[in-house]
Parts: sequence; structure tokens; C-alpha cells
Amino acid sequence: MIKNKQPEVSQEAPVTAAAMEAVFSDCYDFESRELNIGGNPGNTVRLCFIDGLVSGSDVAEQVIRPLTDPGRFGANVRGEQAAAMLLGGSVYVYTSKCRRKLGEAVEDLLNGFCALIFDSQGEAVTFEVKSQQRRSVDAPKEEKVVKGAKDAFVETLKVNTTLVRRKLRNPHLKIREFTLGERARSAVALVYIDGFTNPDLVAEAGRRISAIRAEGVLTSAVIEENIVDNYRSPFPQTISTERSDKFCLNILEGRVGILADGLPLGFLAPGTFSQFMKVPEDHSGHFLVASALTILRYLSAVLTLLAPAFYVAVAMYHQEMIPTRLMQSMIESRSSVPFPTAAEVILMLLAFELLQEAGIRLPSPIGETVSIIGALIVGQSAVEARVVSPVVVVVIALAGIAGYTMPNQDMGSALRLCRFLLVLAAIFLGMFGVATGCAILVYHLAGLESYGVPYMSPFAGSEGRHLSRALLRRSMAVKRDREPELHTGRGGEAKL
Amino acid sequence: MRRAAIPALAGALAVLLTACSPGLTIFSNYRSLENLELVRTVTADTAREGVHVTICSTAGEKSDARMYGRVGPSIGVALGELIHLPLGREAILSHTENLLIGEAYVKEGLAQCLDYMERFSEMRLDTGILIVRGGTAKDLVEGLTGGETPAPDAIAGLGRIAARIGRGYFFTCRQIAASLAENGCALAMSVRGEKADKLFEDRGELDIEPAGFAVLRPGEDPVFLSDEETWGALMLLGLFRSRNVDLPVGDTVLTVSVDKAGASYTPRFDGQGLAGVDIALTAQANVICMEGDGDLKDPAYREKAEKALEEALRQAAGAALDRSRVLQVDFLDLAGIVRRKAPLKFEGVADKWGEIFPELPLTVTVKAELTRTFDIVDPPAVSKGEEAKSPWEKLTDSLRDS
Repeated sequence: MIKNKQPEVSQEAPVTAAAMEAVFSDCYDFESRELNIGGNPGNTVRLCFIDGLVSGSDVAEQVIRPLTDPGRFGANVRGEQAAAMLLGGSVYVYTSKCRRKLGEAVEDLLNGFCALIFDSQGEAVTFEVKSQQRRSVDAPKEEKVVKGAKDAFVETLKVNTTLVRRKLRNPHLKIREFTLGERARSAVALVYIDGFTNPDLVAEAGRRISAIRAEGVLTSAVIEENIVDNYRSPFPQTISTERSDKFCLNILEGRVGILADGLPLGFLAPGTFSQFMKVPEDHSGHFLVASALTILRYLSAVLTLLAPAFYVAVAMYHQEMIPTRLMQSMIESRSSVPFPTAAEVILMLLAFELLQEAGIRLPSPIGETVSIIGALIVGQSAVEARVVSPVVVVVIALAGIAGYTMPNQDMGSALRLCRFLLVLAAIFLGMFGVATGCAILVYHLAGLESYGVPYMSPFAGSEGRHLSRALLRRSMAVKRDREPELHTGRGGEAKL
Repeated sequence: MRRAAIPALAGALAVLLTACSPGLTIFSNYRSLENLELVRTVTADTAREGVHVTICSTAGEKSDARMYGRVGPSIGVALGELIHLPLGREAILSHTENLLIGEAYVKEGLAQCLDYMERFSEMRLDTGILIVRGGTAKDLVEGLTGGETPAPDAIAGLGRIAARIGRGYFFTCRQIAASLAENGCALAMSVRGEKADKLFEDRGELDIEPAGFAVLRPGEDPVFLSDEETWGALMLLGLFRSRNVDLPVGDTVLTVSVDKAGASYTPRFDGQGLAGVDIALTAQANVICMEGDGDLKDPAYREKAEKALEEALRQAAGAALDRSRVLQVDFLDLAGIVRRKAPLKFEGVADKWGEIFPELPLTVTVKAELTRTFDIVDPPAVSKGEEAKSPWEKLTDSLRDS
């Protein structure tokens, strides 16, 4: 039986080579070697680093070479004096820290530092020599860009903060770091503009991030589900994006941003329903076109949510609502289908979800093929084999396609879930069920809040005064209104 | 607050669903789409036991129209029995487009039919009501059935075209019921079956054609208006769409299409009360055909043509007004028009309208205008051998000349 043994690291213990090796025992990527300061065999120091996290050539060139140079470190340079020289710039590393506590030194090693440990003094000098092996900045994969910046976030926090900093060249842009996860010790950054972003929002976001209790921040749900107001709701309450331009745009609107090391995503809070209906292209295209497309997205949301349920209710209970010609066509097509309407719709919805899931899970070229085969061949065959009626295929396909127009995948998924529930309500209660389902949905959405901002604002909670803002985009030539719910600074304090 | 509201809402919902479920769920209202037969036409004729009702239904787009009949003491009872069709099929009445009532059944059955349609929630109030002139509704629909065009489509086609050719208008159940309640009379379109021309092979034995308006009064047989009176009534009621009229102008016969015709009413009051109503008819028409050698560009000829048109319009309107007064039935709703124009003054004559109306002086003035066609300076047929030039060539020629 294998017994899990967690090395006990006293955070406050002095830094020694033995203690460090004990901490990293059974870690094959941990490297430790002795170096002679100034090439003097009697004057040694222990170099420790984690292979892979640091750049080997940087360690050799920027640390080992100057440290072992007799011309730089004379024979009489020992212990404390050597440490002072290292911190004073005798090696060519731009970040160096003196660590007297073992916990701090371990933390540095895990963050891509190497450590020179002076056993006699119980301290270490650490140098940042991070490995540059990281994914390069690339165009976003999930959120397609037509006319806009093509630098998406990557898994490295520093790169992501750099992308943000390059777009928002403002000293008031603050990037506050948090370390989360009992074991993974993941770095998370809170991004906001000091003096502009509502300080209460910043404080609340900081409090919620600090309160995250997790082993590590390796998935987006760790952040999202811990910082939202109502984690039980299927509707997204934080905006997640892989696009740095969208992230910065929202920071400029007064939201707080959250970046996590290891996640190629940025999170924005507060998230409201209207925000999930917008795409950054709205700010790139002509304002009339952008407004029309925004309205189209709202209509699509209604369509994807209600079309199957409405069809079920009408076909099962309220045939008088169907126009005569369509009714004749529906009777004709239904007469040869063996399943009742309810089963037919549920079957098609499930088939649609299966196709979608298969398309996502399979590698890209195969996934697309599966979707096309599914949509064209299976759908056509199902109609020809009279397993389903053509009207149902049209309704489900229409609802599915309308769902794809949702700019946010999470919002699309939430609507899909609600679509199923509304179909069930329609099966049992007809139009009454659809109306009741919609009432419950509206009740739920109207009751949601994100960091004190009503989720349905400006449709609810702002007296409808800014209703047009959600649906229409004003020309950039006209001064833009700020969102009143975000309570951003008015005095231009954050301007340079 | 919210924590309390959610359980409260859930509880209320549970109660609501429990209470409403028996009435709303699949156990009562559910109808399987594939078992439905769509009723588009219902007929009602007099029978010894009460009423003979037939429904003309289709099960789908490609299926033939089927007819089912039943005799019952009332239309409601007969239709109630007809709903359950053979082989487990069910007739759905919500898409009924027309109710055809046989001429003989109008006297005793009109009120009953209207009452049934108003009360039975599945029937639509905008169902058209047609009176079958000179026969039974059942025979007409049976005669229409059998060709490639189903009877309901033939009737619907007539409904679309009747107003466009100025020969009738499909009044709905709601309009007829409202008119009966308000005026004590109503107009309905009447139709008759004619032997179908053999050239039209897609027809059944009969073809349906408009037979003028029928004047309906509760408990009385319908009175049918002539074609001219129907035309006049359409113009006076503001329902006119279009009609072709032959006008004798000198030695020629001009066929014009009257595209616009409307009436405006001005009641005249004196110390005695209502002194009369001035009716101003305005119409626009365009020439579509001419027999003989008339010169349309000649203002004198055109004026003659317009006078002839005005006379034709005056005759049609006058015929409808005269018939209304002879029958002493205000089917043109003159009382309503006067009331809307002068509500306070009308109050003084409202009680004795029945006495005033037959003797009321009515002045009809007509203003007709011929538009289009004759304005063409160079019609293609009168080029007199000259080589036709395109507008572009004419323009370049004129520029060169200048």
C-alpha cells in the first residue's frame, strides 16, 4: 500500500539546501548543484531550480558564468558579501530577490526562478530566469474576428497582462495579483482602472477572488462559479473571452477583469444579459448594421428558446392557430410518421444535441464533416424514411441555427437547456405551459444580480431609460454614454 | 425577501398546475394532428327534422375533399355528431372558411347559425357566410366536389375575385351579426351553381358564381339584389374594388375599368329635422378597350365618355338606394352614416327613422374621371409606317436639332 506523504514545509524555516531538497524530494525535474564562487573550490553555493520552468541557457549565461568568474568574485569573497554582490547586480538577471524564509524561496522556484542558497547564512538569492517555452499569441480560435485585433489570450499570465497593458497604456491600469489554490498555487490577476472603475466593485471582486477555496485554478469554472452571485443559475454571469480587445473594451466601460495563469481566457464582471448579446465587431462595423445585428441576435434568442416549444404546443393543443395551408401540409406530413409529435420533437432535439456534441469533440475537420453529414444526410434520410416530419426538421434546425448566433457559448448552452424544459412544459400543458415556463424564466432572470447590477439591465432595474443602449449602438462620432449601473468615476480621474 | 418569494412562487405554481391540469393537459384537449380532418366548408339546409348539415373536409394537402352529412334538430347538434368521423378521425372546425346556407333555410336558420358560431369557441367569427340562391347548399358543394379543384378552394377563389370584379363581397359572420343587431338587416353575398363549362376540366359538375347580394332580415326570406344594385351597394358601402363597364359614347362603345369609386355623405338638416342626404360619388377609370373609331385625345370625346360613365355610376347607386327604400330596409346603413356625421341632430330623428327613411330626399352627384391610356402621345399602333425610334434616339435627335 502506497502511503501518500506530503513533505512538511515550514514556511518560516531558514533557507538551506537540505531543506530545499527535502521539499522537492521525488521531483525528477528539480535540479540542484554546487557552484564555486569565483572558481574557488572552498567557497561554494548551492544552485537550485526546476528544469523546464527556467531557461537553461539563461541560467548558464546570466547566473553561472558571472558567479564562477574569478575576476568578478575574488578568492576572499564569501557568504554574506557574495550575496550582497549578487543582489547588487554582479549577475545579469533583471529580477533578483533575497529570501530568508523557505516558503518564499520555494514559491520563487515554482514561478520560474533559480535560487543560490547560502547554507551558512540560511538565506537564498533568487533570480528570475523563466523559460520562454510558451504558446505564442495567435488569433482567437473560438471567437472569430472579422474586423478587429487578432491577438488572443494565451495560457501565460504575463503574456496576457502584457497584451492588456499594450492596449491600455495608462498608469492607472492596475493589475493586482492573487495566489490561489491550496496545492497548485495558481496566479490570478485582477485588472481594473484605478479612479474610474467603481471601487466597491473592485473591492468586492478582490474579496470574492480571495475567498476562492480550491486546490488550483486549472479550469475556468473554478473562477466563474466562485465569483458569481448565483452559481446555480445556468445563465453566465461573468463574461469570458479569449479576445484581448474585448477584454480591454469592457475594462474601459468600467468592468473589472480577471486573468488566471494557465487559462487562455479573461473574465469580466459584472456580466449582464445584454452584454452577452454583443460582440466586439459591433464596435468595428457601421453603427446601423451593428444595431440591426444586435436586434437580430435578440430575435434569435427568442427563436431558439421558443420555436420547438411553440410548435409542440400548437401542433398538440392549439391547431386553430395554424394557418389552413400550413395545417394541411402538416397533416399530410404527419400522417405517415409513426411517432407522436412530442416524441418526434424530443427525438430531433436529442439528435441535434448529439450531432453538435460529436462535432465539438471530434478533431476539427472530422467534426465539421460529421455536422454536415448529420444535418444533410441523416436529416434528409429521416424525412424520407418518414421517421420525422419535414416541419419538425425545419423547426428544430431553425432553432438550432438561431442558437448558433449567440455570441457567448455559455449563453447558448443555457438557452438550449431552457429550450428542453419549455418543450416539456409545452408537451404537458400546451401554450399554458409555454407561458408559465416563460414567466418562470423571466422571474429567474429578473431576480439575478451580478455584483449589484441587475442581470436584465437595462431592460429591468434601470427604469427602461437606457433601453436603446442594449439594442442599438450609437455612432462613435457621438459621445458615448457610460453604463449607469457600473457607477464609473465621473471626474476623469483616470485620465492622464 | 427573494428566499421567501421563490417557495411561494413554487407553491402557487404547483397549485395552479394541479388545478388546471385536468382541463388543459393531454387528457382533454390533445388532438393528434395526423387524425384530424380539416373542415373548410360547412353547409346548412332545411330538412324535415330540422337542419341538414354537411361538412367538406380534407385530410391533407393532396387528399381529395370529403363530404359528410348529418340531419339534426339544430346546427349545433348536427355538427357535434359530425365531429367524430369514421376510422377514429376527428373533424376540426376551427379552419372553417365559409358557411353556405341554402336559400330556404335562411328564414328559420340564420339566427341559429349565427348564434352557434358566436358561442362555439372553435368557430371563427371571420367565417364567411354565403347564401345559396335557387338551390340547396349541399347540392352546390356536391356539384363542385369531384373536379381537381376542391370545393373549398373554388369558394375561396370566388371570395377573392368577387370584389375585384365588382360583383360581390364576402361578408363575415361578425359583420352580418353586427349589422343585424344594429340595423335589423344585413347584406350577405349570394352564390349560385352553374353548369361547368366543359373547357374547364378541373371543375366538377357545377361551377360557382356570384349572384348578387342577399338582404337578410330575421325571420324573413332573403331578398336578392340585381347585379347593378349590387354594384351600387358596393360603391355606397365603400367596398368597391374594380369593375369593367361598357359605355356607349356616340357611335363607339368604350370599355373602361373603374378602379376607384367611393361615396361621401352630407346630411342636410333644417328646422323640421333631417331634410335630406347629399351623396357625392367620385370615381376613376381607365380605358381598356374601344369598339369604333373614337378619338381619345379629343377633349370633347373624352368629356362625353366621362359623362357616360357618370351616368352609369349614378344609375347603379340610384338602383341600390331605390331598392333599399322600396324594401324599407336600410341595408346601406344610412342611419349609421347620418348618426356618425351629426350625432346630436340624429338623436331627434332616430326614433322615427323607419318613417323618414323611405321618403328621405337623396341627392346623388357623380364625378368621374378617365385617366391613363389616352395620354400616350405616340401609341405603338399608330406609327404610320415611320421607323420606330427609341426614347434615347429621340433624345439625341432633339439635342442635335437644338
